[in-house]
Amino acid sequence: MERVLSIGERLQRLLEEAETESKRKIAEARRKADEMVARARDDAENRRIMAQRGDGIEDLIKTEEYKAKQEAARILEKYKERAEAVKNVPREKIEEAISFVLSEVLPK
Amino acid sequence: MSSPSIELEAQLIERTVAKRNETLLSAEETAKKILQAAERERERIKAESEKQILSIVSSELRAVRDRIIGKANLEGRRTLMSAREEVLSALYDEAMFRLEAIAEGRDTKIRYGEVLKKLLIEAISAIGGEEFIVSVNKRDYAFLKENLADIKEEMKEYVGDVIIRLDAKTIDAIGGVIIRNPEETKIYYNTLDARLLKARRKTESEVAKILGVI
Repeated sequence: MERVLSIGERLQRLLEEAETESKRKIAEARRKADEMVARARDDAENRRIMAQRGDGIEDLIKTEEYKAKQEAARILEKYKERAEAVKNVPREKIEEAISFVLSEVLPK
Repeated sequence: MSSPSIELEAQLIERTVAKRNETLLSAEETAKKILQAAERERERIKAESEKQILSIVSSELRAVRDRIIGKANLEGRRTLMSAREEVLSALYDEAMFRLEAIAEGRDTKIRYGEVLKKLLIEAISAIGGEEFIVSVNKRDYAFLKENLADIKEEMKEYVGDVIIRLDAKTIDAIGGVIIRNPEETKIYYNTLDARLLKARRKTESEVAKILGVI
């Protein structure tokens, strides 16, 4: 009977230790979580302040420049296509225009 | 120790160990959930921060974009305008060659003598008066010297009996006339070159429409 009691105490201790370990694990997780969120908030705040000062936005500007340059290339290409189309005027249109000009130049 | 006692002890140990494991497992699950929630919060803060920064620097980014796109549009428009100018210049050059052909008599559909007479009438009517000095190019000078009497006769109906003197000093022009009064107070440029220049200013937008290059 004494032995059962002794085992009971040891088992109780085991449970208490598990409880303590659980609390430690949860507390550790909460600490890590708080740190993680606090660091994220600090980073965000620092970046916001830097952005307001115009610092640390080089990457954003580079990205915007890259996107804009790509769009600019597309715009130029379209203008070049239009310019080429302008140069390919059908012969009958040219004749019509020349007749119109000559009718203005020559006296009636 | 009796056998039921050992069995009781074994059951107690088993239940306790199970409870211990359950407690530890539950704690691990809770810790995992806490860290996952923190991770989600971190991502939310980061995304919100990116949004705020974009909002703060948006005017700067817009300026960067506007500068690059604006330059491209300007360059593109220049390219297009240059192409239009090229087409229009080629067209007016061709019109000038046609006028040369008419003035030189290579274009048989139009009688240049008639054109010259009309140019004379137009210029004389514009200046007004009775006596005029006419300057023409070398080829037209030869033509007028030979035909001036006939032309004057034909012109009578429009400008009356006028005195026309040919200027021996010829001009450099495709064709047409420059007329002035003897006092040289009035002068009228009615050369084909001048008329083409004037016509270009007047017709360019209409010509562009005809060519479809607007």
